[in-house]
Order: sequence, then structure tokens, then C-alpha cells
Amino acid sequence: MKDTIVQGLQQAYLNLFHMIAEFLPRLVVMLVIILSGLLVAYALKYMVRAVLRLTKLDRLSEEAGASRVLRMAALPSMTEVLSRSVFWITLLGFILIGISILNIAGLQEQISRLLRLLPEIVVAMLILFLGLVIANFLSRAALLAAVNAGYASPKMLSWSIRFGILILAIAMALDELGVARQTVIAAFSIVFGAFMLGLAIAFGLGGQGLARSFLERSLGEKKEDKADELQPL
Amino acid sequence: MAEDILLGDDFLRQLMSVGEVDLLVAIPTYNNAGTVAQTIQAIENSYQQNFVRDRVVILNVDGGSTDHTTDTILSMNGKKSAAHRGITSLRTVHRVTTQYGRSPSQGMALRTILAAADLLRARSCAIVSPATTNLDPSWIANLLRPAYRQDFAFVAPLYSRTKFQGLLARNLLYPMSRAVFGLRIREMYSDEWGFSGRLATQCLNQNLWGEEAVRNRPEAWMAVTAICSGMKCCQSFLGPKAPPPPGSGPDIVETIRQTVGNLFWCFETFQEHWMDRTGTEAVPTFGSDHELLPEDAPASQEKSFELFRTGVKELDTILSSILRPDTLAQIRSIAGAEAGKFRFEPELWVRMMYEFAASYHRSVIARDHILQALVPLYRGHLYSFLLEHRGSSVEEMEADSEALCVEFERQKPYLIERWKAKS
Repeated sequence: MKDTIVQGLQQAYLNLFHMIAEFLPRLVVMLVIILSGLLVAYALKYMVRAVLRLTKLDRLSEEAGASRVLRMAALPSMTEVLSRSVFWITLLGFILIGISILNIAGLQEQISRLLRLLPEIVVAMLILFLGLVIANFLSRAALLAAVNAGYASPKMLSWSIRFGILILAIAMALDELGVARQTVIAAFSIVFGAFMLGLAIAFGLGGQGLARSFLERSLGEKKEDKADELQPL
Repeated sequence: MAEDILLGDDFLRQLMSVGEVDLLVAIPTYNNAGTVAQTIQAIENSYQQNFVRDRVVILNVDGGSTDHTTDTILSMNGKKSAAHRGITSLRTVHRVTTQYGRSPSQGMALRTILAAADLLRARSCAIVSPATTNLDPSWIANLLRPAYRQDFAFVAPLYSRTKFQGLLARNLLYPMSRAVFGLRIREMYSDEWGFSGRLATQCLNQNLWGEEAVRNRPEAWMAVTAICSGMKCCQSFLGPKAPPPPGSGPDIVETIRQTVGNLFWCFETFQEHWMDRTGTEAVPTFGSDHELLPEDAPASQEKSFELFRTGVKELDTILSSILRPDTLAQIRSIAGAEAGKFRFEPELWVRMMYEFAASYHRSVIARDHILQALVPLYRGHLYSFLLEHRGSSVEEMEADSEALCVEFERQKPYLIERWKAKS
């Protein structure tokens, strides 16, 4: 009995030792790969940045109007966006290769699934990017219009527009990825509906005076407001 | 080029029946049935009194009026004014009407006028607004003569104005355009102006008609085209500028988008022509120089100051991407002042305007947003101006306006520096 227990423990110890002996070199290899990946990614980032600066891509992007779009989304210059993208894509590739070295059952499958999802991920990222651009542009336009018209709480209006568009973009991106599709749609409907209802209640009940002045200004008093201003030309 | 523009068969037939002309006066209309008759009458009287032997035409280009403006013009055919007093033109005063679109567009209207002027080989042309209720026959003659008799390409109007009229033009458009382009043309943004047939053909052949700045304020673009092409420009005194009915016309936001947007766009389009230009030149002026008439100070503009304060506070992020940190800090600082002690110094105003122009050039954010962000700051400057000049005499105001023009000229190197800067 005692011998059996000792033998079992010895076997377990040996198995653990074998596992660690097998896993450790793989872990070291993975770490080496990731570390090399980090170095390669950094090197590529600086190389790409230097080449793009030499080719004056930013000027071309400015002329093509792409820089304007990036600025609207509060993103850095085209050179910076591309060099950073190269860095992250390279690093991600090395991380995935490193993880696959570990040979963990199930993880391999997840990685392959992730690679298969890559086109959807790109589309989802594009949707998010466009959502960000549109949200920034429209929220800024609303802020300017509200400030110039003298409306109360212009930032709240601007923020509401940004929030609404971003929620829509995130929901669309998740839908594209197929992540809990039903849940996302239901969650979006609830959040968006609640948001609009909240605005309606806040504006209708909480801000009766504001609503009244808004409507009066929009429908009746606009001409008087204009007449108050001195003729500019 | 005139053939490239889609001119209707009926319009072409009318133009062909007119043949060649010496003078053309055009009236762009949109729902002006109430005033267009007196405008036509003033033009006809001017032709009868001043150009008896010349071949003349009145051209109406309509933007899709729904109030029978065109019918009003056509129904006037043949009616003679009592003002003729026996003087009759030796030639027929032709009237041509056409509709260039279903919605009004100043750019499309001008393009149609220029195409007609080109086809008719008009030597001198003038454009008058049917909204100008005090149009006098002498105005038409004053706009036509310099191009007809003296080889001027662009004729800007000069008006007598009351002290607090046209403040955007006086505090921004005139001093800034004068400093940058180097010619002292006071009224570059106006409803009436004159031009030669040569300038008409040159502008018609430019491929810029799709530009929003040209569509909105084509008159200023014509003026800058003439300046930068080395053509002769002049000013012609017309008379008092009647204020439009209260509440009519675009509001201050739209006016700034159109006029300042056009000015900044002209800076960019013609940058090779003004970068190396220093100093300013006076242009020949026909008739008396502009006049400033006394006027009671307008009602308190406290609301303008409030809108300025709110704008500086709420648009801080946007302004920080347009203005240099030290300029924005100064604006924040004056926004915190008491309303009664508020002062927008000319030095700050000019520096700020040049930074706006440079930011527009670099498109630091959407250009339309840059222009809209200027509105609260303009309101602040307007408030400061009214506060300072509430009791000023005409002479004091004139001296102050001239000092502002000089400040714009003094800081022009700063504009060039910011214009060329990468960020």
C-alpha cells in the first residue's frame, strides 16, 4: 500500500518534472521569440517611419485630404499611424508564433480561429475608425453651432451626439465580428433607447424652460435675434 | 468657354438677337418681384441719360423665383419712364432674361452673366442688386464708365455709410485684404460692382467655378483675380448704402463663413502673388472718397460679449488647435475681464486673425469649423469696438480704422511665418 502511494507520488513527480522539462524550454523559446519580435517591431517601426519621412508621405496625405480625416479623428499623422500599425502587426505576429510554440491544446485552435477572423477584425476596426471620425466631426459641428446660436449646455449636446454615434459604431463593429450578435443588438437597442428616452425626459421635464427657449428661438424669435445684430457688410 | 456652359436655347436665341453690345448691366434675382421694376427703371434711365449712342443690354439672371419676378421684368417692356424728359436712346435697350437654376447661387448667376458678356462681346459690365432700394441711375454710370472709357478691369463701389454700419468689412475684410494683396479697395464684398469684358472672359475661363468660395462670393474673387493679374482696379463713389430690412439677409455666422472663407481661400489660391509683396497702394477713386456719417450708438451689445465669453470657454479645445498657446492664453485672459472694462487690443486681434488664416491654410481641422470658431471671437471684438467708439467722432473712428489697417500691414511678416510653418 505504502509502496503504491510512494510509486504514485514518484510517478506524479516524474510526470511534473517531464512536463516542466518539456514546457520550460518552450516558454523560454516563446519569450525569446516575443523579445525578438519586439526588437524587430521597433526596428521596422523606425525604418518605416524614416522611409515614409523620406518619401514625404505626410505632404502627399495632406494634399489628398487624408490628413484632414486623421485630424478629425484626433489621430496622429499618416506616417505615425502607418509606422505604429507596422509595429503592432509585427509584434502581434511574433506573439502568436510564440504562443503556438507552447503547444497548448485548445490554444492552437483559438489562434487559428483568430487568424481566420482577421478580415472581420480589419472591417470592424475600419467601422470603429469611421465611427470615430464621424462622431468627432459631428460633435464638433454641433458644439460650434450651439455656441454660435447661444444655446445653453452646448457641450452636453456635442457629447450626446458623440456618444450616440460611438455606441452605434461599437455595436456595428461587434456585430461584424459576430460577438454575441443577439446580445449586442439587444444591448444596443436598450442603451440607445434609454439614452434617447433619457434625453427626451431631461429635455421635456427637467428643461421645460430650455425647451421653450429653444423652440421660441428656432421658430419665432430668430428674426428678432438677427435684427438685433449690426449689419456686418 | 462660354459654349461649355449649358445655356438654354431660348437664352442663346435672345443673345443672338441682341448681337454685340458695348455695355451690359446684369441683375441677379431671386424673388425680387417687389423691387426689380425700380431697378430696371434705374438702369434704363442711366442708359438714356449717359449712354445714348451706345449698344446696351439689360440682363436678368434668375435663381428660380416663385413670385413672378421674371414676369414683372417682361411686362415692363416698352414702358417709358417720366424721367426720360424727351431724351431717347438712339439704340434699343435690349432686355434678356434667363433662369440659371432652380435655387439661387451667386456663383452660377455670375457665371451665366460672364458667359453672356463673352458672347455679346460687352466692353464694360456692371452688376446691381435688386435688393438695393436706393439705386440711382448715376450709380450705373459710375460703375460702367471706368471700364468703358478708361481701361479699368475692376470697379469697386464706394458708399457713404453710417458709423456703425459694415463693421465686419471695416474691422476685418478691408484691413486684412488690403495688407495681404497690397491694394486699398474698401468694398471688395458688395452687391454692386463693375468689370471689363476682358476680365469677364478671363474669369469665365478659370476652372474654379466649383469652389464654394467662388460660388458664395464671386465678386471678391473677381477683384483678387484682377489684382493678381496686374489689371487696373479702381473705386467709384455711388452714394449712401441703404441698410437692408431688419432680419433680412444671412446672419453673422453665415456672413463670416462666406466672406472670411472666401478671403482665406483667395489667400491660398493666390499665395504666389502676395507672399513677396510689401506695402500697400491706393487705387484711383472716381467721385468723392468714402464717407462716414454720424449715427447714434446702437443698443447695448452685452449679448455679444456673453457669446464671446461662452465661445472662449466652450470652444477651448477647438481654439487650441487653431491658435498659438500664447495667443489663446491672452484671449482667455481678456474673456475674464469685466464687461465694462473689456478691450480687444488691435495687436491681439490682428495676430489672432493671421493665425486663423494660417490654420485654414493648413486645415488643422475642417475649414468650415475654423470659420465658425471665429464667430464668437469676432463678437468679442465687435463688443470692444462698440464700447470704445460709443462716443467717438467720425474722425476718431476713421483714425482708428486706419491704425488697424497699419497694424495688419505691420504684422504681415507674421502671417507669412505662420503660413510657411509646418505646425
